[in-house]
Amino acid sequence: MALIEIQNLSVAYGKPARPVLDRINLSIDDGDFVCLLGQTGCGKSTLLKMILGAEIPNKGRILIDGREHHQPDRTRGYVPQKYALFPDKTVLGNITFGPEVTEFNLFTRFTPRAFSRRREIRDEAMRYIDRIGLHSRDAHKYPHQLSGGMQQRVAIAQALATHPRILLMDEAFSALDPGTRKDMQRLIRQLWRDTGVTVIFVTHNTQEALYLGSRVIVLAKDSPDAGAQVVTDLSIPQPCHEHQIPTLVHHLEHASGSARAPEIAFATA
Amino acid sequence: MSFGFQLVHARPSRTTSLVLSWILFCLGVSLYFYTSQRRHHDNPEDRVMPTLTQMIHGMTNASTTPAEDDDSTAPDNASLRQKFFTSMLWKDTVATSRRFIYSILLLIPAVLLGLHMGLFPYVGAFWLRFILFFDKIVALSLLPILFIVFGIDELSKIMLIVIGVTPTIILDTFNLTKGVPDEQIVKAFTLGASDFDVAYRVVMRQIMPRVLNGIRLNLKAVMLFLFAGEMIASTDGLAYRIALLRRHMGMDVIIPYVLWVALLLFLVDLGMRFLNRKLHPWFQAG
Repeated sequence: MALIEIQNLSVAYGKPARPVLDRINLSIDDGDFVCLLGQTGCGKSTLLKMILGAEIPNKGRILIDGREHHQPDRTRGYVPQKYALFPDKTVLGNITFGPEVTEFNLFTRFTPRAFSRRREIRDEAMRYIDRIGLHSRDAHKYPHQLSGGMQQRVAIAQALATHPRILLMDEAFSALDPGTRKDMQRLIRQLWRDTGVTVIFVTHNTQEALYLGSRVIVLAKDSPDAGAQVVTDLSIPQPCHEHQIPTLVHHLEHASGSARAPEIAFATA
Repeated sequence: MSFGFQLVHARPSRTTSLVLSWILFCLGVSLYFYTSQRRHHDNPEDRVMPTLTQMIHGMTNASTTPAEDDDSTAPDNASLRQKFFTSMLWKDTVATSRRFIYSILLLIPAVLLGLHMGLFPYVGAFWLRFILFFDKIVALSLLPILFIVFGIDELSKIMLIVIGVTPTIILDTFNLTKGVPDEQIVKAFTLGASDFDVAYRVVMRQIMPRVLNGIRLNLKAVMLFLFAGEMIASTDGLAYRIALLRRHMGMDVIIPYVLWVALLLFLVDLGMRFLNRKLHPWFQAG
């Protein structure tokens, strides 16, 4: 059975109701790297928020491991584009926050057992800091002292520190300069391969989606007043060859730009 | 149109800025003593504008001898230190500080209430409308009612401050809580935090420096209500003394008292600013 099952999901905002998503049906397998691709305002971030549980759909339901979730929790890690890190905590504090609140509540964190366990958590966090390519002297810096790329690296480490089954990333690299962006894409591919986490990655950049994803899902609207639907669902051959990308980009941009999706019948691995 | 010199882009030197910033002080002080001199020249008995000697004399008395209505007197051979601790100035300062500290402590529940209102929709729905209404009541207009209900002792004065200042602090904290980005709260939940972890370990820690700044801005309001209460119904305190001395035109003590209060408030504000910087090194204003 699929890890994430989206059944007949419809979302509309405001009064009179303005549809955003229209009857989405998807099933996402364990270990997939899914890129949600679409133009600005097509509802891809809304879909991510629904999977996250931060918002509740009007119709339909989302099952994760066969169960509905009504609020965000530890099964799904989250890396937003902005405000990803807690500004009041150091890099180390940000990464250890997850494991600490998972194991100790507001009162038990002051017990002797918590103190020794906290040291282990800190050691593990230091290993994460090393793994995402930060220097150990950065551990005690606050987020505002780091560059945008460094902040997103820490945000990824923070999300992975609690070992979630699913990692949701919302335009996580969109605010970064191209060079840093490339590095980050390599990093997330590497982490995905190493940890086997299921990633859902929202982006409006077709090349990014093709480079990263093992599966690319394009959302688009028929008309401005209609909700977005899945117009293309594409599995990317592994590994994706550089020379294939231009053709795929052409196809996908045609798909997300025009209303009707062309049939794409190739490219299953 | 140009004036031949820059206004917005002007760059005064350090010395110029320093000199400019002290001009009004010097002007005010010299104008005072000039007028005081003139008045004493015309009428040596003038009580409205005491000279520097008179003020120093008045303050020396105030800080070494007990108030006239105070029974506890230091023995004649007491040291200067003992004299100070039984003096009028010291006792008034202690009385006012005590009330001030109580009122600041009572702002802690206000901050917590604002936090919960902003974060938990049920709590917000329950309190918000009432607090908004309460905020609009002119606290000083309640003063007679407070004296009738709570009597004229400490409680009514502290209640006046609570009623006057807490709604502002509650609403300020509420707005700050609402201003915390959703991403932060969602993120905390995905990391396994509980509702109370989010409230106290994520949101409260983030808004704390701004809350402290809000309290700093409201220190004057706290003092205003405190002084109103002391002036109308009290038997000690700095404002009580100022109001009492007004009856026999004791300007030689009133003016130093006013400056003393300003100095105390300035020190409290400075202390809170320092504390804020020490506790929240990650916080940059703006």
